[in-house]
Amino acid sequence: MSSVTLRELTKKYDGNDAYSLDSVSLDVAHGEFICLVGPSGCGKTTALRMIAGLESVTSGDIEIGDRVVNDLAPRDRDIALVFQSYALYPHMTVSENMSFGLKLRKVPKDEIKKAVIDAARILDLEQYLDRKPGQLSGGQRQRVALGRAIVRNPSAFLMDEPLSNLDAKLRVQTRAEIARLHHRLGATMIYVTHDQVEAMTMADRIAVINLGKLEQVGSPRDLYDRPANQFVGGFIGSPSMNFVPMHVESVDDGLRLVSDGGDMDVALGGVESSVIRRAGVSEVVMGVRPEHIDHVPRSGGGLQMRASVDVIEFLGNDEHVHLTSGDHVLVAIVDARTPLTIGDSLTLSASIEAIHLFHPETGAALK
Amino acid sequence: MSKVDPLEDEKAAPLKERRVAVVARRLHISTLTVNIALGLVAIFWLVPTISLLIISLRPESLFGTSGWWTVFTAPSQLTFGNYTTVFSQGFATGGVLNSLITSLEITIPATILVALISSLAAYSLVFGFWRGRDMIFLVIVGLMVVPLQVALIPVVQFYRELGNLFGLNPYGTIPGVIIFHVAFGLPFGIFLMRNFLTGIPRDLLEAGRIEGAGEWKIFYRIVLPLALPAIASLAIFQFIWVWNDLLVALVFLGGNVHTPLTIYLYDQTRSLAANYWIVSTGAVVSIFVPLIVFFSFQRYFVRGVLAGAVK
Repeated sequence: MSSVTLRELTKKYDGNDAYSLDSVSLDVAHGEFICLVGPSGCGKTTALRMIAGLESVTSGDIEIGDRVVNDLAPRDRDIALVFQSYALYPHMTVSENMSFGLKLRKVPKDEIKKAVIDAARILDLEQYLDRKPGQLSGGQRQRVALGRAIVRNPSAFLMDEPLSNLDAKLRVQTRAEIARLHHRLGATMIYVTHDQVEAMTMADRIAVINLGKLEQVGSPRDLYDRPANQFVGGFIGSPSMNFVPMHVESVDDGLRLVSDGGDMDVALGGVESSVIRRAGVSEVVMGVRPEHIDHVPRSGGGLQMRASVDVIEFLGNDEHVHLTSGDHVLVAIVDARTPLTIGDSLTLSASIEAIHLFHPETGAALK
Repeated sequence: MSKVDPLEDEKAAPLKERRVAVVARRLHISTLTVNIALGLVAIFWLVPTISLLIISLRPESLFGTSGWWTVFTAPSQLTFGNYTTVFSQGFATGGVLNSLITSLEITIPATILVALISSLAAYSLVFGFWRGRDMIFLVIVGLMVVPLQVALIPVVQFYRELGNLFGLNPYGTIPGVIIFHVAFGLPFGIFLMRNFLTGIPRDLLEAGRIEGAGEWKIFYRIVLPLALPAIASLAIFQFIWVWNDLLVALVFLGGNVHTPLTIYLYDQTRSLAANYWIVSTGAVVSIFVPLIVFFSFQRYFVRGVLAGAVK
């Protein structure tokens, strides 16, 4: 196992003006599970393929362990890649699929056999070793793809959306298995996904990428509690954070925020007021997560809003309530036992701790 | 982990029956109709072939006096006499067995070379990293329509030049015929292989590359096994084409004492007027080899070789 370091890694394809990956720097510690997450086409898979050696580096460096591997062939980088499509060799049996890489490296036969049997036991594939991929279910194929990576005991595991071809139930199950596998092997894992739930549940740290740029790196809790900008705020968490543009107004003992039409207002404390004064803005974007909106009026500080109910999505334990407040549309999560009907007028609130403030132009979090 | 999922029952049904059923459903007709149609086609092809076989098994004297079908009422007509006579020359020059060997000497290398070179070229055209691959492919497609007749004289001259320059004139030799057949087999071979290889997911090659395979290993451990159905059909096409060729052999082997079966049969009709018993016997011999090739390659015509590769 080793660390993986990206230094100002950049990728630009010929005939394409935009950078697919723009100066991304990232330290992945030895044994760490890191998720690269972002919307489709953000460059996260490009980054992974560059680490694997399947794409050339335009500029910057990739280090695995203490070697710069920019110009090394994929096979000399000592990494394993689990493909989104699994990429199993259809003409080989499960055991041949898993032993292929070891055979190429001229590992002694008895060691290969042992490695394959060990991996098969870990992944519960023992009774399928003589089957071909065509005779396996999606979940089993996925495990063979994992097994093929495990047997080689590489410095780092790279995974490219390995769960996206599984159905929802199997995905949750396999998610836990990969987390367990990481724990058991203590391996460095770089995992690419567009699904923030996968990232949140599995990763030690998450790197959020958008339009080729690294937006923020941090633990799932950091990203959830302290998003660096509006993009990360909106991307992490489901349903996603509500954003409302607000005007800054002075009141006797500090500042307050008011929405167009005045249906929402936030009484700011001293800390938030000084943050806004320091930024020197007269408008801000307020962010508040649906789960932090309470269906009660609140006295003193925080967000107060009047809104009417548009849509109610019943989910069992709670409900997602789509609201209109003035010209703004928001989502709130409320207890499913709350008696609500469409068209109801509500008074809602959120504590000042739940309010995120973003710069109206740059989108950066104000702090 | 997940439970063993039983494979769908449909997959267990014999492949042949399923295919008939699929065709029937698509054409909105019953399975019976499809089977009858298939039977008619089979009879249509089998009758002339069987009649040829029977003619070769009847004595020369009966040829002009009664039809081949009379054998069904008088099976005593059947004799291996023709074969004994034809084979009596053994492998001596001018005999059918000598021609059989010559045909094999031409056809086997011409087939193997085309299959090998086409696969390599197609691999490079599909998975290579060089520019202009599509352009080259278009040129190759264009070459498919060049009639081989236009090349006869230039190639003969080219061979002569080779002889003048290096003292190695392939004209009139078996390698000379092989080179010509390979050259004219390649455009179609590359076309077929390239179109097949584009269906192989790139991920498979990348997986191999990461696991430690170089280009050669990827080619013969991953791509070649998956391309077997295409290689089998290409080999059959090329084999039968070269096996049945008369024109190229006549032009390039004219005067050579070793002649392929096609020239042998042609000589029988030309020199000894209406020597049908030899022609029919020789024809059966020359049908026999392509049949063996066809049936031995048949098992590579597998549908769904890529099943389970991706997803």
